[in-house]
Amino acid sequence: MSTFINYLNLSSARWPVFSRALAATFGGYALAIASSLLISQLLMQVTGKYQAIHIGLILTFLVYACAAMWVFSVKTAKKAWLGLLKSIFFCLTVTWLLGKITGVAN
Amino acid sequence: MKWFHTWVGLIVGWVLFFMFLTGTLGYFYQEITRWMEPERPFIEHKISNEALLDIAQAYLIKNAQGVDEWDIMLPNARDQNLRVGWRKPPEPGKKRGKYQQTVLDIKTGDSVESRATGGGRLLYRMHYRLHYLSTKISYWIVGFCSMLMLLAVITGVVIHKKIFTDFFTFRAKKGLLGWLDIHNVLSVIALPFHFMITYSGLLFFLFTYMVLSTNLQMSEDEYSEMRKEIFPRSAHLESVNQPKEMLAISHLYQQVKNTWHTGELNYVEVFAAGDINAQARFVRHETDITYNPEDEVMVSAVTGEIILQKPKEYTVTGMIHNGFFSLHEGHFAGSITRWVYFITGLIGTAMIASGLILWTTKRKPKQLKNPNGPDFGYRLVEQLNIGTIVGLPIAIAMYFYANRLLPLEMANRLNWEANVMFISWATLLLYPAFRPAPKAWYEQLNLAAFVYMALPVVNALTTDKHLLNSISKQDWTLVAFDLTLFAIGSFFAFAAYKYQALTFEKKPIKKVINPRDVIADESLLPLRPMNKENG
Repeated sequence: MSTFINYLNLSSARWPVFSRALAATFGGYALAIASSLLISQLLMQVTGKYQAIHIGLILTFLVYACAAMWVFSVKTAKKAWLGLLKSIFFCLTVTWLLGKITGVAN
Repeated sequence: MKWFHTWVGLIVGWVLFFMFLTGTLGYFYQEITRWMEPERPFIEHKISNEALLDIAQAYLIKNAQGVDEWDIMLPNARDQNLRVGWRKPPEPGKKRGKYQQTVLDIKTGDSVESRATGGGRLLYRMHYRLHYLSTKISYWIVGFCSMLMLLAVITGVVIHKKIFTDFFTFRAKKGLLGWLDIHNVLSVIALPFHFMITYSGLLFFLFTYMVLSTNLQMSEDEYSEMRKEIFPRSAHLESVNQPKEMLAISHLYQQVKNTWHTGELNYVEVFAAGDINAQARFVRHETDITYNPEDEVMVSAVTGEIILQKPKEYTVTGMIHNGFFSLHEGHFAGSITRWVYFITGLIGTAMIASGLILWTTKRKPKQLKNPNGPDFGYRLVEQLNIGTIVGLPIAIAMYFYANRLLPLEMANRLNWEANVMFISWATLLLYPAFRPAPKAWYEQLNLAAFVYMALPVVNALTTDKHLLNSISKQDWTLVAFDLTLFAIGSFFAFAAYKYQALTFEKKPIKKVINPRDVIADESLLPLRPMNKENG
């Protein structure tokens, strides 16, 4: 076991990079999905349901790209993970609240 | 950010190179298919659309019995043959029948039996439907790579503060700086294209990649309703099983000519053929990036009257979405625009290649000082570079050779054309492992020059569709194809010559360079000397 841990070399500079790559790939994807929910909820009254959802979807790739770049620009991997989780939480909460207020189930 | 740009680009650079190159060839996929089916007759000049429509209709009545949807594709600048297509009735247990297409010989009115080939279609489909992998897996891999491409484009702009000054900077004889400048110029010169092609490429599979979002927000029925709203289809009547003789399609065409005031025609779709509901939709060449309802006219094939149709209605977002598709595929492009697309695509391909080469050029001095020789990662990148940047074009040429040289009656011939291509690529990827890098570059560049220059010759030896014949028949698509092959060969020959001149003969000159000059130069650079941060 200990040789295995030594082999992994957890203090190596590689692990934070690996962690960031995971954050960018999966966290970024989750944030992109969450942002699409928020955008479509915001636009629901203005453009109608289908177009609102469509706009949210079209913009996901930009959100994804920005999230991935941000993940690699902050000081530590931990900060990147926390920031992503906060943003996802924010998107989902606001979407849920808006849905409650406007009465449109999402 | 510079670090990020480097690694995002490197990690899937070779897949992106493959996608860009095969995708770029897609702008000429009809022309490639035309070349790969040499049994097709030469272009027939001076034949009216009416005569062509009569030939097609006679063939379809005889050979597509029991089928009620016909397509007639007229000869055009991209494909000089008359083609007809129809969907066979579905086999039991299947929703749709198989679609069949054939080229007609105008002189005899019969179909032309071509060799089994994947043609340009198989080649360009590889850029999103990676040949040996399943559809689903291909789409996700392609999506991942495109996403990294998008990141590379955005970060590339961000790290490039002096985007316009650098555009005019070119230090050809400076090795590393030369490659950096080339990479910058290739990137900036077609930046809108790079962004457009990447983003629209992602949009093609938007509903696959973001399926989680739609699943969370809508039911299955709502989803298919939304898809219909985004991609509206023109309506047409179905067959009601009351046979009725149709008018000649060439006769209907007169009506259409009056509406358009010109004689242009791209293709005709016939619905409910031979039925009381029979209709023909006449479509001319797409002229608009977005939708122009006047490009198509529907005529009743029984009464000969024009059927007024409600134009397709697009939502604003649907218009944007379809506009991106149209820009990506360039169906609206005429000959000149198509060449611009092709060259811009090649610029994108070259941008990726120069980025990959830059990675090794930058690390070369340090790697060569390494007492044990260059380390594994460096050698791997260099090998993949040689095997892909020069190897893939050679492999594509081998696809064309296979088309000409594999026995015509071979089983699975179509698959073997592609197999030959990938076997060649694999060989060329392995070859640099057994040669010093500069020699491998030089030899593969020479090989590429040879295979492309020899292709028109092999074409002349194996078919009658060679340059002499195609020039005398004024079949310009075939002429352009052979000449383009020769031009590509010359380009590789020039590259090989330049490579030799710069690599093998420059050594004595290198020693003369005054170290102080080098330092003076580096202060001018956007690129700082290598250290851990931006290495």
